[in-house]
Amino acid sequence: MTSAARSDPRPSLRKDGPPLFARVLVANRGEIAVRIIHACHELGIEAVAVYSDADAEASHVRAADYAVRLGPPPPSESYLRADAIVAAAVDSGAEAIHPGYGFLSERASFAASVEAAGLVFVGPAPETIAILGDKVAARNLAREAGVPVVPGTLQPVSIDRADGIDPLIVEAQKIGFPLLVKAAAGGGGRGMRRVASARELPAALAAGAAEALSAFGDGSVYLEREILRARHIEVQLMGDRDGTIVALGERDCSLQRRHQKLVEEAPAPGLSDKERGELHAMAIRLGRAARLRNASTAEFLFDEDRRFWFLEVNTRLQVEHGVTELAADVDLVREQLLVAAGRPLSARLVAASIAAARPVRHAIEVRLSAEDPARAFAPAPGRIGGWRMPVGPGVRVDTAVEAGERVPPDYDPLIAKLLVVDADRASAIVRLGRALDEVEITGIQTTLPFHRFVAAHAGFQAGELSTGWVAQEWDAAVADIRQAALAIAAEAAAAVDAGRVVAGASTAAPDPSRLAVAEPADAWQLAAREDALDRWSR
Amino acid sequence: MSDGWSTNPTGLVRVVPAPASRLPGDEPRDIDPAAVAVERRGPGRAVVRTADRRKVPVVIGEDRPASPARPRTIEVVVDGWRFELEVEDAARAALRERATRARVHGSANGPLEVHAMIPGRVAGVAVAAGDTVTAGQTLIVVEAMKMQNELRAPRDGIVERVAVGVGETIDLGDLLVVLA
Repeated sequence: MTSAARSDPRPSLRKDGPPLFARVLVANRGEIAVRIIHACHELGIEAVAVYSDADAEASHVRAADYAVRLGPPPPSESYLRADAIVAAAVDSGAEAIHPGYGFLSERASFAASVEAAGLVFVGPAPETIAILGDKVAARNLAREAGVPVVPGTLQPVSIDRADGIDPLIVEAQKIGFPLLVKAAAGGGGRGMRRVASARELPAALAAGAAEALSAFGDGSVYLEREILRARHIEVQLMGDRDGTIVALGERDCSLQRRHQKLVEEAPAPGLSDKERGELHAMAIRLGRAARLRNASTAEFLFDEDRRFWFLEVNTRLQVEHGVTELAADVDLVREQLLVAAGRPLSARLVAASIAAARPVRHAIEVRLSAEDPARAFAPAPGRIGGWRMPVGPGVRVDTAVEAGERVPPDYDPLIAKLLVVDADRASAIVRLGRALDEVEITGIQTTLPFHRFVAAHAGFQAGELSTGWVAQEWDAAVADIRQAALAIAAEAAAAVDAGRVVAGASTAAPDPSRLAVAEPADAWQLAAREDALDRWSR
Repeated sequence: MSDGWSTNPTGLVRVVPAPASRLPGDEPRDIDPAAVAVERRGPGRAVVRTADRRKVPVVIGEDRPASPARPRTIEVVVDGWRFELEVEDAARAALRERATRARVHGSANGPLEVHAMIPGRVAGVAVAAGDTVTAGQTLIVVEAMKMQNELRAPRDGIVERVAVGVGETIDLGDLLVVLA
């Protein structure tokens, strides 16, 4: 075996077309950084990680071949420092930057500065990111491409001007209530306000504009009719530099809470072949109109009358890309790297896009987050104690944490994505339930109880999905479910106390000499300090 | 358990979520450990058989022994729900609650009873009846688990009575000092 063969695990991928990158910088953290580093390594590409002080010993740093420190934990001083990240790439000899999702992934200015430095941005062109990032421009683009957009305004409005509001009220009457005030510059529910009647509109406009200004630096807003009892369905797109664009199937992401996705699946249940075909065709029309290349996602609402309405295009890899990978049997991150290096879409990917018209597998993802589902999904960072993830056929776990690691309070609370795949939806749900039963996490509260509830729910099993599902079903049931678990936990604790059951971890009694250094004045002060430590402890 | 006083295999134990995992509506439960159907499944794991004969797997995480400041605290995860549960002898828990109530409800004007918040041995008495004290002044020193804990005056006042002497063993909730 020659040394060249050893250093190149996939010589077949290197034979034709432009050479692949030798080194890629991954401008992200957590599970997605690890996911991208794995894809780099499988292509024989070296990976450069970046990290904040909170992540100096994190999994993505350990997985990478090189790592560059960015700064203190706050994102604005680390993972959002575009200049520092481009400099790190140049200094470390990386030829390309993969932005992952979140952070800088949808900032056109970042993509432009990457290209200005002579590097390749793994994603769409900066101009594409800019036009699709402007939600009003994207709505106009969709309309021109013959894709139905949710009824609403087609011009952004700055409400600073006194004469800005009156025309909007007239427009709102035409659109109809309830409607949504949305930020022109961004998504994720920020700057969004629901308006039930004309009377509420001025206040909602002011609040939405103020929130949009603080979140995106741009207070422009627009109006959109609220589509009630809708499903959220999105199409995975992939394009190459030659302008070839394919749809790799759709995902149903209807289980959301305040516009944050909790469960995703592919394909969307209950679509006819005709509906599926029309949806994919609409997404491709959008992609062509925007000259999309690399990975993007076109998001739609699917209403009770089975009509699709365009929402927006996300010009990056999605958190939930894995369900498409399992359902379509492709590796999207590998394809992203190949396309970024100038290769055409692979034959395998094109074949998968044709097969996506008639799905033969079903995949489901649940997002395990460090959040307390009994406290309105409030963040619950802390130190993980025990950590056991499911294994076995048709199960995939994307994660970057391990037992004993701290989940920092500075970033997204997502700690693991649990994905399952099987021949059809019913068997995938059974497999999901089985996999969730295997999950054991101590030390922090996670969203696991919510996901167990979903997997066992008759309505979910029947495919009765909507974006209001969580508020209807979970919020009504959570208190009783938790009390039932507490009753069982209390019995177990009593048995442990009586010496009938052995704990997994026992903490030694506090060492008096160590406590003496800190000089707790009395037991009350000690108790107060312990309670304070408890907030992040363990 | 080395400290001994939190484990009581014969009587009822009171189980209540620790402040970190307590929600409104969580009530203390008095449980007879001999009556629960809990089978061990190796270190850190057990199965609880419920009244309707389901077998529910539970994970036992961290077991923090009792300290002068709080009862033994056991981490239990059931169906993904994580609880830190304080466990102590039910009778002792009742005393602790009474002591807490007395401390919280003591008025600023009338006589104030100072009760023991921790069990132990009286290592020192710093005041006598008739003494004028100011808030924060040391009244009694209690030794517990090899630590000296100073019990301080919760407010200004005059010592009406000292109910304990040096060397005495005190229990949780015992009356120590009355301030006028």
